[in-house]
Amino acid sequence: MGKRTPLYDEHLKLNATMVDFHGWDMPMQYGKILDEHMAVREKAGIFDVSHMGDIIITGKDSEKFLNFMFPTDVSALKEGTAAYTAFLNDDGNIIDDTILYRISVERYFIVPNAATTDTVFEWMKKHSENFNVHLENVSDSIACIALQGKMSLDILEEMSIKYPGEFKFYEVKSSDYAMNKITGNHGMIVSGTGYTGEKGVEFLIPSENAPALWQKLIESLRKIGGLPCGLGSRDTLRMEKGMLLSGTDFSSDRNPKECSISFILTNKGKFIGKEGLESSKSREIFRGIKMDGKIIPRAGSTVFSGSRIIGKVTSGTLSPVLGRAIALAFIDRDYSKAGTEVEVLVRDRKINGEVSRPRIVP
Amino acid sequence: MSKIPQELKYTKSHEWIRVEGETVTVGITDYAQSQLTDIVFIDLPKKGTKKKAGEVLLTIESVKSAEDVFSPLDGEVTEVNSALEDKPELVNKDPYANWMVKLQKKGGFGETMTPEEYKKFIGE
Repeated sequence: MGKRTPLYDEHLKLNATMVDFHGWDMPMQYGKILDEHMAVREKAGIFDVSHMGDIIITGKDSEKFLNFMFPTDVSALKEGTAAYTAFLNDDGNIIDDTILYRISVERYFIVPNAATTDTVFEWMKKHSENFNVHLENVSDSIACIALQGKMSLDILEEMSIKYPGEFKFYEVKSSDYAMNKITGNHGMIVSGTGYTGEKGVEFLIPSENAPALWQKLIESLRKIGGLPCGLGSRDTLRMEKGMLLSGTDFSSDRNPKECSISFILTNKGKFIGKEGLESSKSREIFRGIKMDGKIIPRAGSTVFSGSRIIGKVTSGTLSPVLGRAIALAFIDRDYSKAGTEVEVLVRDRKINGEVSRPRIVP
Repeated sequence: MSKIPQELKYTKSHEWIRVEGETVTVGITDYAQSQLTDIVFIDLPKKGTKKKAGEVLLTIESVKSAEDVFSPLDGEVTEVNSALEDKPELVNKDPYANWMVKLQKKGGFGETMTPEEYKKFIGE
């Protein structure tokens, strides 16, 4: 038996197809993946992402410590705002990407990926010795529900919850909630973040309060034709928008420049991976490929320009919005311009495609 | 619980087979379609293609993965279900009504199972 989120029973009630995901029993889909995908693109959907980690960083040196841990300028982050960033190793390659939240100058939290939470926690611990900081992994006490899609805003309004704005968050404090270990208050965090490219929020809520919120959201979704969504559509949604998947698109072998996330490199000071990053060549870059037709390139498929090998696919699926196959790949910079014609070898056939920005579906 | 019709034969790679004289119809089982998740494309072979038992007959693309369907016998493709070109999701709806390929028998079968054996094989 795998690890279960506090919403496990809710998934069974909804007849989800459960699968093992890095040791967690998670819903792959409740109905059809394509329907769940389109529900999020056109209306709204909810996801149980409680398997993701929650690590809090507190103490006097928190800001200084995080400025050393991340290539992102943490001092520029205002209270109540969050930033997408990444842990780099000494070579400047990405160990994991994460969202960093600033609660106050001495209190932060991060949401690393499920499979890398322990690695990231140990990595931070190892580098925290010379700083006055305290790290705590509170993952087991926190559930996370993502509400995504444009009609999320209507659902929030119905619940009298204010939309925090993109990459902003606040806490709904109430004695109705158990103690939220992230903030130390009784309440839930409402965060303007997600992994679908749509407007929406993520609720970080004490585990014991999660089923009630989930049920309430299911009820609201029913009224508007929204759906609960599993990991299947979570993956197809992020692929259309060119969002990286840790462990799939990179695993400590690619740096932020190669991953097309140079925007996170705002830290002018000294941080882990800085030298590695400066000396790296980054000959390839993360790109999308729109394929002709529905034959899907998969991780490992080779990308060609004529007879020349120019890259490798890391993710692929059928784009429900475009109705054609799409892929994410690392491609030689000389061929990375949007519109460049390429071929991808799928099984024994070379299929034509066109390079695009990672955000394949605008 | 997966549907396993009594009148068909099954393979370890989750194909179902209907034998009518020299004509053999091939599809995938209910268990297989549920494991595949949403089917989005079926790469069907051309009429006249000759296959040996165990060779890749066609490939099914789902949102999550691509899976091969193997020829259960030595045969020649005489018909393909072209309705699946536009509507591959029909296989998710009814994998037994929506066959994929008809083959003319040219030689022997590979290993097949009875419905009872297949049921045990998939652990149901």
